[in-house]
Amino acid sequence: MPTPAPQFPNRDSVTTIRADGSRPFIYPADVRGRFASARRISAYALIAFYLSLPWIKINGYPAVFLDIAQRRFHLVGLTFAFQDLWLLFFVISGVGFSLFFVTALFGRVWCGWACPQTVFLDHVYRPIERLVEGDAVRRRALAAAPMSLEKILRKALKHTLFVLVSAVFTHLFLAYFVSVPEVWEMVRHNPTEHWSVFVFMAVYTSLTYFIFSWFREQVCIVICPYGRIQSALTDDHTLAIGYDAVRGEPRGKSGTAGAGDCIACNRCVHVCPTAIDIRQGQQMECVGCTACIDACDDVMTRLGRPTGLVRYDSMRAFGGQKTKWIRPRTILYFFLLLVGASVASWAISTLRPANIGVTRMVGAPYILDDVNVRNQYLVRLVNKRNSPADFVLRVDDAPAGIRMIGFDRPVTVPALGEVVQPLILQQARAAYTGPFHFEVRIEDLARSFHLERKVDFLGPEARLLRATEAPKK
Amino acid sequence: MKQTIPESSDETLRPHSYDGITEYDKRLPNWWLNTLYITIVFWVGYWSYYQWLGIGQTEAEVVSIAMAKIEADRLSATTLDDAALWKMSQNADYVARGKVVFEANCVACHLPSLRGKTESPVAIGPDLTDTKWINGGKPTQVHELVMKGVLTKGMPTWGPVLGAKKITDVVAYIMSKHREGEAIVVEVSAPPAPTP
Repeated sequence: MPTPAPQFPNRDSVTTIRADGSRPFIYPADVRGRFASARRISAYALIAFYLSLPWIKINGYPAVFLDIAQRRFHLVGLTFAFQDLWLLFFVISGVGFSLFFVTALFGRVWCGWACPQTVFLDHVYRPIERLVEGDAVRRRALAAAPMSLEKILRKALKHTLFVLVSAVFTHLFLAYFVSVPEVWEMVRHNPTEHWSVFVFMAVYTSLTYFIFSWFREQVCIVICPYGRIQSALTDDHTLAIGYDAVRGEPRGKSGTAGAGDCIACNRCVHVCPTAIDIRQGQQMECVGCTACIDACDDVMTRLGRPTGLVRYDSMRAFGGQKTKWIRPRTILYFFLLLVGASVASWAISTLRPANIGVTRMVGAPYILDDVNVRNQYLVRLVNKRNSPADFVLRVDDAPAGIRMIGFDRPVTVPALGEVVQPLILQQARAAYTGPFHFEVRIEDLARSFHLERKVDFLGPEARLLRATEAPKK
Repeated sequence: MKQTIPESSDETLRPHSYDGITEYDKRLPNWWLNTLYITIVFWVGYWSYYQWLGIGQTEAEVVSIAMAKIEADRLSATTLDDAALWKMSQNADYVARGKVVFEANCVACHLPSLRGKTESPVAIGPDLTDTKWINGGKPTQVHELVMKGVLTKGMPTWGPVLGAKKITDVVAYIMSKHREGEAIVVEVSAPPAPTP
């Protein structure tokens, strides 16, 4: 059976979806060059970074440990409790606007250089495939070849390695949520002892395997929302990978009279992992992987022509005009970034290693006895640190003559624990002048931080209280 | 910029146009359609499991079973009788745990000595060590009082705050200051001051 000729890319349809809905598998050719090398180095650095986070300990916890079971989130030495989840809004908007800003300036640098999908696919799974099945020509031939022992062995080896690598990645990903020792503990025990986690891991490993072994560029083309939203964030001044049509057109073999620099060798098409032709201009499938730049530079170098026929530049520059870096869009995104980042920093700076809640005890809102007006509260102290802490409670801004009962001694709250204790305030009837506000303030014994809560002291209107007393006297 | 776009052949356009933008009528990718078919198959299984055959527990059933279990635990905790509570008050473990609960929650009004108003006239709570009781002095009566509180006087409903276990402990601690069979005086207090 002859290898079916791949459909030549056009702008009217997605190359990786045929007219009948089936998907032609892409076999991108190998590429070498300065961008390929730089991307390989940065990818390995990123993988090392992602995978080492659960191992590095800061303040006694892994650098990233999203402990869902204990509802404590440890990030680079900071510990967040569920009550701090509101911070996430500002952190995410800060990160989001940073991404807006970077995208408006540099286009899809995230996709090509830092996205885990690209990093793992281009620098882990594809190299394994290359090692086991050979270069693009061999891979395509192997896929088209009839079933044979060699084909079975090669395919089996490749897919076994894919599953193994996927399992390693998913286990380290799980370590983000349960920590490395816990993952190791679970791995050594019978799956029936932690059935739900086992099923989760099996499903997650299968998904990872499926995405990186078969689904691949479809994630970027069809699924990824960031890939799509970028069309709205970029403009003609944004850096992109493009083809210099002014220099390249009309295409023609080397030596043809009147021909431009492009020799129509189609190297840029053969190396493309999303099967597009970069010479057709900006396309939503392009993830900015730089393979076509390296491919074209290599050809131009061999021909003794200047490199950069395909290069990073703005659409304006490809049209012979100047790129404007400072423009309303980048100013706006930078402003939003600043707002997001400063609000996020402020929000994180308000974080305290404890929390306090003051609620009124069940029952009457206030109690009158013969001599006093009394309010009863329950104070909940939450210690977010992983060591016990002693707290001192104080009442501020209360009128003179208020007697505070409870909390006459420091309260010890266990590590990551909480203590609920009554707090009673009473005032002599004679001194009572009506309801008031006061402040409950806690400090740790080391006085490293304090927290306040505004609380109401309730009671009858002083006038009415006097009126009820009058007949007694 | 000059684009080299191949002329489309016999593509059909969708009949709408928004701001001059038109679109082709392309077939969806097969993998996309397959996810739709898979969800339909999944739906059949899911619906059969939960709705048709009723094998799976609905969330409401899960909640009611959990609630029933909590209720059962509560009942087994409230079927305590005087004898059992007296026995617990002789048990060092119960008394020690009860002391911790007492010191965290009760000392504010009843004082660490448990002697309340007898010890200090400004204390809020009554004496728990004498033989005079306002609401009954049998261990089960004390237990119920701690559970439900005396709202007009300021004794809170500790039941939902502390839970059955801690309340049993704290009652054991209080009763450890008493002897079984001692003379009990139930002293009805003056009616509480009106709380408008």
